[in-house]
Amino acid sequence: MLPKFDYHEPDNMRSALELMSSLKSNAKIIAGGTDILVNMKKGVISPKYLVSLGKMKELFVLEQRKKGIAIGSHVIISELAESGLLWKNFSVIAKAASVLGSPLIRNRATIGGNIVTARPAADLPPALMAVGAKVELKGKKGRREVSLDEFFLGPGKTVIRADEILTKIIINELPPFTGGDYMKLGHRKALEIAIVAVAARVTLDKPQGIIKNVRIILSAVAPQAIHAVSAEKVLINEKPTEKLIERAATLAMQDCSPITDIRGGAEYRKEIVKVLTKRTLLNAVKAVNRKKVKGER
Amino acid sequence: MKKLITLFVNDKEYEIAVAPNRTLTQVLREDLDLLGTKEGCGVGDCGACTVILDGRPVNSCLVLAVQANGSQITTIEGVAEGQNLHPVQQAFVDHGAVQCGFCTPGMILSAKSLLEKNAHPTELETREALSGNLCRCTGYQKIVEAVQAAAKTMKK
Repeated sequence: MLPKFDYHEPDNMRSALELMSSLKSNAKIIAGGTDILVNMKKGVISPKYLVSLGKMKELFVLEQRKKGIAIGSHVIISELAESGLLWKNFSVIAKAASVLGSPLIRNRATIGGNIVTARPAADLPPALMAVGAKVELKGKKGRREVSLDEFFLGPGKTVIRADEILTKIIINELPPFTGGDYMKLGHRKALEIAIVAVAARVTLDKPQGIIKNVRIILSAVAPQAIHAVSAEKVLINEKPTEKLIERAATLAMQDCSPITDIRGGAEYRKEIVKVLTKRTLLNAVKAVNRKKVKGER
Repeated sequence: MKKLITLFVNDKEYEIAVAPNRTLTQVLREDLDLLGTKEGCGVGDCGACTVILDGRPVNSCLVLAVQANGSQITTIEGVAEGQNLHPVQQAFVDHGAVQCGFCTPGMILSAKSLLEKNAHPTELETREALSGNLCRCTGYQKIVEAVQAAAKTMKK
């Protein structure tokens, strides 16, 4: 049974922001509800008010922009996994979306929800960080954009203030010769929380060229998704040979601080970080070179 | 405070006053007497509470009834046409895909949604589409066979 609460469904953003600033931390926003309702049923939280933004159509739109895309915070995970636009331009996001939860969960859970809940093993944050995504936060006093790199503060903790609303996710167009991949290891193939997940993104200066930009994001091995800093460093301005990628993958093990829990031991997780870092990097590089073949035809 | 909502369930319109903390599962079962929708885990893991909400199968235990206001909902009771079973239901009967029956309504609704989107699913696609529905009699093999057989009958 769910504890008692009052339910508000404001008609527009202005009244939503007004409401959030007057209710403050007594209120929680409910989007897909797949996380918050579970926590309320388990008695982890019991907000006095739930606020639904379901009437604000603009939050449900995934749109192509001049230089990239904007994804409304209430776009459901299934829509990301089914989006041709994402598979074409930001396949790492589509791939992460397609392995989140179960088909039933993906039909309710939202991109914004998967971000604001700040779970250390969440699927979308690493993929979004790999492509340098930003989030738009709106409050009564104005709006701000925050890079996802600076958004998470720890499990369940983010920079979002109680009176702010995450409205969209903004991703700039990626430079040419960019490839990416997301891989998640779980105990089973579906409805699984990651033991370890890695998102990698590589930008070369030309096909078969050197690495100009690289992002390796490790998930479920730290309080929040993190960059494999030393692995990224060793790759920059180098040719992505298998030997170098192997070295980067080994360095990634030192970049994380996993814990031992029911899903896996810390040492095991480090080993998996190495394996998945190597595989995602190799796939990302392969994706760049595959694109080139297509372009020539 | 109760809210007045309208639900379109199996093509019938219902106007109901509900407390905000009641889930769609509860309202379907307790207010509308549609007992085909089961509550299993209550936290979105088992899929026994699956209904089709505005064209997509979802865990109704994780939907507030007030969130479903104005939505089209199909429960297992709305799948057959009169006395005629839906091809997926018939295939479940023919292939022995029903054991204790608790997961069956959810399985059938997930399978029906799959076949509406993808008329020729592979075995892997079928298993993937049913991965949010758990069967503790472990009858998955027969369920998958039934769905694939239903795809063939529906094609004809």
